[in-house]
Amino acid sequence: MTETNGKRFMRLIACGVIASTTLLLGGCVTNTVQQVREASTGITDSDSIVVLGRRNRPSQSEAEMDFLDCVSRNMASGTDAVQVVTEQQFMDALFPWFEPRTAPVNTTDLPDLLSEPILAERIREIGLKYLVWVEGQTQRTAQAGSFSCSIAPGGGGCFGFLTWDKDSSYEASVWNTHTAKTAGKVSSDAAGTSYMPAIVVPIPLIARVQSSACSSLASQLKQFVQDKS
Amino acid sequence: MTVSIWRAAAPCVLLCSLTGLLAGCGGTNRLEVIEGQFPVPVMVKAPVRLGIYLDEDLTNFVHKETIESKGKWEVSLGSAQRELFNNLGTGIFEDHRFVEGTSAPQMDGVLKPTIREVQFSLPSQTRSKYYEVWVRYDFELFDKAGTKVGQWVLPAYGKASEKDFGNKMSGMQAAAIAACRDAMAFFSLNFQREKVVYDWIKAGKPLQPLAPPASPAPPPAATGAPTAASANAPGSNSPGPVVASASAAPTGRQADAQTDKQADTPADTQTDKGGQQ
Repeated sequence: MTETNGKRFMRLIACGVIASTTLLLGGCVTNTVQQVREASTGITDSDSIVVLGRRNRPSQSEAEMDFLDCVSRNMASGTDAVQVVTEQQFMDALFPWFEPRTAPVNTTDLPDLLSEPILAERIREIGLKYLVWVEGQTQRTAQAGSFSCSIAPGGGGCFGFLTWDKDSSYEASVWNTHTAKTAGKVSSDAAGTSYMPAIVVPIPLIARVQSSACSSLASQLKQFVQDKS
Repeated sequence: MTVSIWRAAAPCVLLCSLTGLLAGCGGTNRLEVIEGQFPVPVMVKAPVRLGIYLDEDLTNFVHKETIESKGKWEVSLGSAQRELFNNLGTGIFEDHRFVEGTSAPQMDGVLKPTIREVQFSLPSQTRSKYYEVWVRYDFELFDKAGTKVGQWVLPAYGKASEKDFGNKMSGMQAAAIAACRDAMAFFSLNFQREKVVYDWIKAGKPLQPLAPPASPAPPPAATGAPTAASANAPGSNSPGPVVASASAAPTGRQADAQTDKQADTPADTQTDKGGQQ
């Protein structure tokens, strides 16, 4: 009898895993991308771009490192890929000019900075044309439901229903190092609701909000710097 | 019957004791600022050849602190100092080498850094999302004969977001590394603007007049060789460094940043912290 229960339990788990895998991508995300162009852009094969997070002060809108990595990776891959220098490589190559408290805050600071011959030379060496400053974050805006799991000698399981909303809001400011002016701004907002029903096995339906905001922002930035938008 | 009840209860008692013991002890959170995080600054080099004296207090520096309900912390900053100052010297001095004291006849002078104070906070203490570290360095500049030219303070700050680091050890380590990089960055940008340094270099990196030996009786009035104070007085014709007459306070962006830094010293968060060893 115990063996039969065990088999049943295993079967249920297997079904749950299959269902979870099938529905894992099921969460819905709404995404909005906007851009404001202030100057014409263009990029060649020898030009590079860097995506940086604003870290000058503890701030609630500081972009996550994995989001910046995601944008950099997405810009460096796929169709119309551009050459991207990673944030750490860039900060090390131009140390100490782009550390949290020494980095320029406005484009008005750029001419002074680029007038340092040794710095200008280093920027030329890495072929940097665009600096992209990203601010924003992903946060959980609401949640509801309850969920509990229990385990007993004969088996175990979970029961309940959870739901939560996430909201991603990021803005990228694009600076042209050749002209020392702002080229424009691109913003990406995404919102989505995730669900987790559980009848014996929890079935997560995750809305990939941050991932969606990342791919949209990266895609739009690629078009923006290549002046295809 | 009594025995069987005790037998049944024994595992529970043992489990509870063990849990309590673990919760009570907590262990020590040891972390080290590792090497390989400190790049060579991209700067116009200062026209100075300096010996860098890192004493054992600095190279073995460990900050120990006990935070109420968060356990003991040991943050080791000392092991990274040699790499940090080597790269700093490579980037901003015409020449540098490590020396074993405050005199270096073959160089222009000697720089001696000291970590005067370290403080840190966890996100739960400040109710923010950041691990934060403050480090206060004191720098002393000596001429090549080992006489002190002057000193200055450099407060540095580093933070790391809770969102970016999965556990408190990696978060705190990232904040400590950021604080050390901040110290390097500020030292690089402000070294030549520090009044002590600026005046000394401008005066030709001279040997300092020796301080008069301490004497219980007041010195005789008005005659004899000029003292350090009189040599430095405005209008003096003495060849010594004219510390008081030169003006080279940090200006512009660096000065603003310095002001920011002063504002970020940990005074406001210290009240949230637990006891300090």
